Amino acid sequence: MYKSEKHTIYYVLGLYLSSTLLLIATLFTSYYFYQQEQLFSEEKKQLKKYTLELTGKLLDVHEDDSFTYKYPRYENFKSAIYDSDKKIIFADFHEVIDDFEEEFFVLNKKSYYVSYLKTHYLGAAYIVVQKEMQPLSILSDTIVIAIVVIIITILTSIFLVKIVLKPMRDTLHLLDNFIKDTTHELNTPITTILANIETLDKNKCDAKSLKNLQRIKIASMSISNLYEDLVYLLLHQKILSVNKELNISQVLEERIHYFELMAQAKKLHFNLAITPDVVFAIDKQKFERLVDNIVSNAIKYTNIATTIRITLEHSGLSVFDEGNGMSEAELQKIYDKYVRFDRVQGGFGLGYSIIKSIADEYNIEIMIDSIVNKGTKVTLRW
Amino acid sequence: MVKIILLICLMFFLLQSDAFEQNCVKCHVNEFQFSMFMRKYTLKYSSQRAIKEAVYRYLKNPQYEKSVLPYGYLKRFGIKKKSLLSDEELEKMIDVYYEKYNMKDRIY
Repeated sequence: MYKSEKHTIYYVLGLYLSSTLLLIATLFTSYYFYQQEQLFSEEKKQLKKYTLELTGKLLDVHEDDSFTYKYPRYENFKSAIYDSDKKIIFADFHEVIDDFEEEFFVLNKKSYYVSYLKTHYLGAAYIVVQKEMQPLSILSDTIVIAIVVIIITILTSIFLVKIVLKPMRDTLHLLDNFIKDTTHELNTPITTILANIETLDKNKCDAKSLKNLQRIKIASMSISNLYEDLVYLLLHQKILSVNKELNISQVLEERIHYFELMAQAKKLHFNLAITPDVVFAIDKQKFERLVDNIVSNAIKYTNIATTIRITLEHSGLSVFDEGNGMSEAELQKIYDKYVRFDRVQGGFGLGYSIIKSIADEYNIEIMIDSIVNKGTKVTLRW
Repeated sequence: MVKIILLICLMFFLLQSDAFEQNCVKCHVNEFQFSMFMRKYTLKYSSQRAIKEAVYRYLKNPQYEKSVLPYGYLKRFGIKKKSLLSDEELEKMIDVYYEKYNMKDRIY
């Protein structure tokens, strides 16, 4: 699976799931609170009924001519009466109630209903009725249902994302296979052309043929570079890096030598300051890709008959060309794949994305300083 | 020491009770009336403070509209005469009355 494809799946899944889960959470929370409200309403209704029952009984007791008064007690609820100064008169529960403002409240799984009596039977100005609260049993059910719905949603969303991404995936596979086949088919002719140019007897060629031959060689080298870039892009995840202490001074010199012919074609001059025997633990092929892309970019974009300064130190490498440079906006997009700022020059716009990918792999810092119409300096620090 | 204090309290209460007998029971005769008055006061005024204040107000200046008794009862017996007791004595009598007949202490 491609990295970009994975990202798309994660983004779509994330977005879809978060919005769906938010909706589900809202629905279930609303449902839970609605049920709770219903339960409270039922409780309140029941407590009101008990209050009426108790009030009637209090009236009977109050009117009783006996010297003592038996407080009415019930099995299904408990009660207390308070005088107009909110002092307790009698209670058959132990909880202390001091808030008479709220008509209905729940405390420690018990529901309470407070009512005011205008006629104070047994002196009662406030009647507080208490009963055990019915447990809201829907919470566990709601959680189970929510989990089931969430799992179904996750599975559905994965299935949906796969369906949506299938055409894109097929196209990408097609493109991928096409590039792989093309790249594979390019290898043999390029190698053949380059090998045959090398074996040609230069002495037998006249000046014009020699020039043409050089042009063919430069063009073949460009195709070869492009081939190497494509191979890196297509296979770099599948090829294991062989990281070893590499004499990068030597490799850099070899690569500069490789590009000399191309440089000559533009009448460029290399100003080299290469510290000998600089060693860095890196895969050789990857370092070559890194250098090739930086140097070939410098050659491509510098002006004719200018100098390319290449400096290698123990802590880094810098390549400075005297080309047209890049604006801030262009620098922002420089690492994007297939981005090219100069259509005159060839290429797929892969160079800097390959540089970035290799630099990131080896924790190499890239700094690009560019001044329009003056040139670009690419510095690698490690 | 405790016994002495208890004895003093008992004597004080008995003295107060005697005063209550003299000033109140002498006219109202039976306990039923006291209980009934207390029931009426409790029904209307609820708390100890409010009941005592209402009884005091009535005894200081008895009026039909201040009475808790039903109209028929008042029509038959009329309202009592203004109390001649001092404020202090009156308050003590009301305390004894409340102590003896309040409904709160008789709920069980």
